[in-house]
Amino acid sequence: MTVVHPLDLTHFQAFLLFAVVISVAFGFLGRRRPKDRMKYILWSFFLFLLVGIGVGWAMFPFSR
Amino acid sequence: MEDPSPNPVNDGARPAPSINAAPVPGESRALAFGIAGWLLPGLGHALQRMWGRAVVVFLAVGLLVFAGASMKGNVFTRQGSDAFDTLGYIADLGTGSFYLFARAIETSGADVSHADGDYGTRLLATAGVLNLLAALHAYEAARGHKA
Repeated sequence: MTVVHPLDLTHFQAFLLFAVVISVAFGFLGRRRPKDRMKYILWSFFLFLLVGIGVGWAMFPFSR
Repeated sequence: MEDPSPNPVNDGARPAPSINAAPVPGESRALAFGIAGWLLPGLGHALQRMWGRAVVVFLAVGLLVFAGASMKGNVFTRQGSDAFDTLGYIADLGTGSFYLFARAIETSGADVSHADGDYGTRLLATAGVLNLLAALHAYEAARGHKA
């Protein structure tokens, strides 16, 4: 039987994985021209980062 | 003065809309593409020769499922104990045949006592919802509404 070792990702790595994959998928599904796709991918990835880190900082005072 | 009646009588100039109109062949074809896209991520686009989208959807859903299951996320089953389990099951089923792939990877069961397992559960649900979105896109593209 094939045993798959568990992935050991940090919070930020898991967040980056999610942001990259979803941005690329949305870019390809939402836009047709390569230039538009690239702009959409970069912009949505930037927004994922901004909102994710922003929410993280907003929760910091209540984290302990 | 205009007739205020909300249901004016058809004067025969235009054909009356048929209530039991049979679906046009294009509609059935689009539905088949949508279902194909759900069963195998990217297949709905591949059948329409949208190769880039097909590859990206296949890899994105596959990567999310692999990562989610490898992080010991919860792959929900039919025997859910509450509404959230049922919703999770529906989301996981959205990955189509990759649901079986996730079950095959996660032989030792889920472990959501750590953050990794919790993230894995979210990644699996995301994969399912993303695939449903892609299948809907393939359906709409086949109907000529999107491209």
